[in-house]
Amino acid sequence: MAKAQGLTWTVEDADQMTQAEIYGAVITQMGQKDRRLVALTADLARSTKIGKFEEKIPERFFNFGIAEANMFAVASGLADAGLIPIVSTFAVFSSLRAAEFVRTDICYQKRNVKIIATHSGTSFGQAGTTHHCTEDLAVMRALAGMTVIAPADALETAKAVEAAVAMDGPVYLRIGRGFEPPLHKDLAFEFQIGKAIQLREGTDLTVIATGIPVRHAVEAADLAKQQGVSVRVLDMHTLKPLDEAAVLAAIKDTRRLITVEDHSVVGGLGTAVAEVIARSGKGCAFRRLGYQDCYSIVGYPDDLLHHYCIDGDGILAAIGEVLKADFEADEDWADED
Amino acid sequence: MADQATELRARIFLRAALPLIKVVLAERPAYRRFLWRARGVVQFAARDSQQGAYVELAPGALQVVQGVHERPDVRLTFKRLEEMCAFFAGALKAPGISGLLRLPALLRLLPFLLKLKILMPDAMPTDPAERALKVRLLLYMVTNALSQLNKGGDPAFGKVVKASPDRVYQWSVAGGPEAYLRMKAGKTKAGRGTYARRQPFVHMMFPDIDSAFDVLTQRVSTVDAVKQGKLKLEGSLEYSKEIGLHMQRVEAITTGG
Amino acid sequence: MLDAAEKRRLVQKARQLRERIVEVTFTCGGAHIGGAFSQHDILVALYYKYLNLDPKRPDWAERDRFVLSKGHGGIGHAVILADKGYYEDRLLDDFNKTGSPFGMHLDRLKVPGVDASTGSLGHGIGIALGMAMGARVTGKSYRTYCLVGDGECHEGSVWESAMAAAHFKASNLMCFLDRNGFSLDGPTEKVMALEPLDEKFRAFGWRVLQIDGHDFDAICGAIEEGLAERERPVMVIARTVKGKGVDFMESKTGWHYGGLDDEMKRKALESIRRTYPD
Repeated sequence: MAKAQGLTWTVEDADQMTQAEIYGAVITQMGQKDRRLVALTADLARSTKIGKFEEKIPERFFNFGIAEANMFAVASGLADAGLIPIVSTFAVFSSLRAAEFVRTDICYQKRNVKIIATHSGTSFGQAGTTHHCTEDLAVMRALAGMTVIAPADALETAKAVEAAVAMDGPVYLRIGRGFEPPLHKDLAFEFQIGKAIQLREGTDLTVIATGIPVRHAVEAADLAKQQGVSVRVLDMHTLKPLDEAAVLAAIKDTRRLITVEDHSVVGGLGTAVAEVIARSGKGCAFRRLGYQDCYSIVGYPDDLLHHYCIDGDGILAAIGEVLKADFEADEDWADED
Repeated sequence: MADQATELRARIFLRAALPLIKVVLAERPAYRRFLWRARGVVQFAARDSQQGAYVELAPGALQVVQGVHERPDVRLTFKRLEEMCAFFAGALKAPGISGLLRLPALLRLLPFLLKLKILMPDAMPTDPAERALKVRLLLYMVTNALSQLNKGGDPAFGKVVKASPDRVYQWSVAGGPEAYLRMKAGKTKAGRGTYARRQPFVHMMFPDIDSAFDVLTQRVSTVDAVKQGKLKLEGSLEYSKEIGLHMQRVEAITTGG
Repeated sequence: MLDAAEKRRLVQKARQLRERIVEVTFTCGGAHIGGAFSQHDILVALYYKYLNLDPKRPDWAERDRFVLSKGHGGIGHAVILADKGYYEDRLLDDFNKTGSPFGMHLDRLKVPGVDASTGSLGHGIGIALGMAMGARVTGKSYRTYCLVGDGECHEGSVWESAMAAAHFKASNLMCFLDRNGFSLDGPTEKVMALEPLDEKFRAFGWRVLQIDGHDFDAICGAIEEGLAERERPVMVIARTVKGKGVDFMESKTGWHYGGLDDEMKRKALESIRRTYPD
């Protein structure tokens, strides 16, 4: 019986333990059923989980090495041949380094390419700013013809991938590392591109979140409920086309809106919602939570969410501020014995 | 004066381990017979330390109180705190015993103390009820011991706790038992059952007692346990590693490391 | 091999289309005429002898693909596509005008016969590679051709694509390099030296052929050699003359992009007839 000398984790071990297996499996299953699907990556097969596809369908999997620009150009060409390329690399490389190729070769030419951008926001905390991406939603939203989705957890990602492949046209799907805890209990929920999911009903205030922070928004809402505050939570998984009806209803019903995203407050969800608020002509208390036009420090991703006030605590504090309410602190710190 | 490491070790034994005799009583109704018509106070103390705890025996009940009783019936005084720690770790270090006239009190306490030996690493019962008891005691002890690490001024764990936002680390076996550790900006609280107010930041879930037994006694490493389906980890990957490291430190401290 | 009659046919066709390019340039107020002429003979050889196409079905799945990576050669490409029957020739009268489907860089979604919307340099080989790989995946036998500019090879993405094409053994991909020696700011070797280009592509794993880009025997010979290649992608480096066919344009940096007035148009047409007599 060997006694474990500290806990060592390798990339391989982590593979076994993540929820990301689920959507990796979904992509692979879809690929086995639909021979038009081809998978592309830029030397990140393991990190992006698209490596699962390679195991099962190697003849329709292509690794382009650390060369993203070419990869997106090739995706455009493959789409011309009637195939449906699923391209996966880190968000910073898909949306910024290869931005021109995404825009000119894919969006402008209306190529049916699906981009799965991983490690978005600061989910790759330890890697630092060069591997973070807090600008991709802003960039992708600005591309005409692009559908932009940020699923909240791996189960939502599985459904989003299915929906993305089923629709015609370019899709940008941004996710975290895949280690993020689940939001949904199982696959029995409805997912429709362009339609926000209302996770909590509420009347005092609405929190509109996208991606990883959705889970934190729900946590904050439930804590707020214990203090007697009724918070509506909208999972705005689709940034473009935005579910404007849901935003307008939130404005009308609650008049207080907070947006939360693992992204800069410039150009992403916060800006998209602000556009709707401004157009509606209605007065509204409004806060955008996200990275306040700054680059992130290095840190564990959970700590970074906390540091930038995008976690449950941060959202709860923002709720309190927007409502100008006080939440009593729990002061019982005696150990149970 | 005893050194800091010993003080911390003693703190863990006195506050996290000793009180588990109440759990033994709750889980082993047969032990009530030892407390039939029980009365008395048994004090644990060491000459070179302020720390101590006493057990109040009453008919059918036990109470553990930290500190020094004015007039205990039996006083178990160790020459050095180190020796008290060794005693709790299972070594037969004879303390100085005063109050022999009230010896019955000590005799009634002894079975409970002996039962705590089930916590030792070489105690590997095969009987399901015994295994379940060990798992329960280990969970309660580990969570409480971690809290003591913080409250006792351990620098390494203290650093983690100080920087922590409001987070809950939860351990649970399907069907019970469960225990948690809550930490927030330097404060910790160990609790039993499931913390209800928010979702755990890290959740270590065992499908059954045997799985919990294997992992908590370190017969199976965490990495292997997950692969074998004996453990499911939800929540922060980095912090499940972190808490695991401190759990191991606690184990080392309590087994004479 | 090219017999005399076929060669004459190609030369005449090339001449006819050069004249048309001059006319369109005159009408639309300006075009990338220098580059249109350097690439011209290669395009004529492809479109009039080798490309398996059906102008009535521009989206035909089995068609050969052609990517004009140096998208600014669009005016030359547009004239050829009109002549092949993809659309009416008179539509070219509105070249560059507001609302016209024709601009400096052809839009695949607006101009039938165009396989990729290029213009930003450095995309074409990648797109063409995707098409070639797509043929393999879908089990089709169409060929993919691509034409790149020499200045274009400054772009790093060109080399990413070159590396990948060799890695994936895309032998059903054939590229031509319009080596006219100039980019916008001057001779390529002064702006950003490219030579030895042949060694570079060879080092990247391509089969490299070098020809005179205005000699139809050489062009067709190279294409046929390339078609026989089974292991590697093929790069035909064609030594060309920017503005070929019009004496006052030949090898002049200034004629990368230019407009023509009546007088210059007349002179240009004369020069073409002199260079390519009946």
